[in-house]
Amino acid sequence: MPELLVSERIPVRIATDIVIARRAARELCERLGFGKADQTRLATAVSELARNVIQYAGEGVCLIEDRSDGVSRRIRVVVEDQGPGIADLGRALTDGFSTGGGLGAGLPGTRRLVDEFQIESAPGRTCVTIVMAKPF
Amino acid sequence: MTTLLQQLLREHRAELLADWLKSLHAPWEHPTPQDGTHHEPNQRLHALFEDILTALERPPSDRFELDALDPLAKHLRQLVADQARRGAGSSETIGLMLSLKRLISKRLIEQSPSDSSGDLLWLEQVFEQLTLLAFAAFLDIREHLITQQSLSLLELSTPVLRLWHRILLLPLVGVIDTGRARQITESLLEAIARHEARVTILDLTGVPVLDTSVAQHLMKTIDAARLLGTRVVMTGISPEGAQTLTKLGIRFADVISRATLRAGIAEALLMVGQRITSIEDGRP
Ligand SMILES: Nc1ncnc2c1ncn2[C@@H]1O[C@H](COP(=O)(O)OP(=O)(O)O)[C@@H](O)[C@H]1O
Ligand SMILES: [Mg+2]
Repeated sequence: MPELLVSERIPVRIATDIVIARRAARELCERLGFGKADQTRLATAVSELARNVIQYAGEGVCLIEDRSDGVSRRIRVVVEDQGPGIADLGRALTDGFSTGGGLGAGLPGTRRLVDEFQIESAPGRTCVTIVMAKPF
Repeated sequence: MTTLLQQLLREHRAELLADWLKSLHAPWEHPTPQDGTHHEPNQRLHALFEDILTALERPPSDRFELDALDPLAKHLRQLVADQARRGAGSSETIGLMLSLKRLISKRLIEQSPSDSSGDLLWLEQVFEQLTLLAFAAFLDIREHLITQQSLSLLELSTPVLRLWHRILLLPLVGVIDTGRARQITESLLEAIARHEARVTILDLTGVPVLDTSVAQHLMKTIDAARLLGTRVVMTGISPEGAQTLTKLGIRFADVISRATLRAGIAEALLMVGQRITSIEDGRP
């Protein structure tokens, strides 16, 4: 277990917060020794989730944590908001479904980009947790 | 044997320099005090002028190669660095070179309309390489500045460059949000119409993340450009970026993509060249 747990909490309220969040994710990725492809995948995933927060919930937070253990390096990102929630999770995770005139590829694409993907949503709360992992 | 070009450069050096300096406007007359080091801009330009002429005076060959350590390459990079630091677009350095090229080719054609074609080709060669070099240097610096100063520089203006006859280059740098995407599309469409462009190169080297929102903006820009009759060549998508786009399930339909700007420009030239050839071939 690491003695020093890196954890960063980034408020997501305006568009530049998306840049800050994905930059933080990319930097942690790099610091932990993930390759360029992984850095890009995670940064893009964070970008998608943070943008959804601003677009569909108004505001939220993004928590980026180093969850590495003895076996693998792991970065966990939790993006959470207190917005209206997603009415139909199944459809929201389908390619091409969008209620906002978007490409509808954000959630399903993010799911494919990361190693672990979890989503919970109800009226008043949506929380997406993603993990990038790589054995030492 | 002395070529016409070599002769012209020798005999009209002073006039060329004077004409060139005259053709360059505002930014050069106001050196920026903000970085403390007060360069004499004309001195820089003089040096560049001499370097370029020296390159042009080489015996013409099929390919103009420029060593990265050549003084010309160094001066060019310095000039681009100065301009980038001042926040000027890459269009400034490139514009300044194209202006010199124009002056020289004009004189060349005036002097000998019939046998200047070999010299003109060589002129194209040299300036093509110089433009590429300047642009690559510009991208390097911009990227560097962006990572260094992050958000403050993300609001960059997007120049649409006329790279060659009927070829436009749109180097995208920084964050592309709805507002900027609209502005980019507007200035691109305007430029396409004005220059009757056939090919637009969309260079994404300076775009930090290609997510679905950026992709959607790009698709709209591309669609609009197509409606005005240009073909779009995309360049500068990194291998990681390409991989990520694939995972997201995003495809830019009917867009030619090349890894590097250099390859993209070659492709664009080919497209324009082919067009011209086929029309001429069709004539009796
Ligand atoms: N944080 C959120 N809060 C509420 N609804 C959301 C949230 N994130 C996504 N959604 C819903 O899921 C749909 C699909 O999202 P996504 O796959 O990112 O596509 P897009 O953003 O292009 O619409 C959205 O159109 C929206 O209806
Ligand atoms: Mg989305």
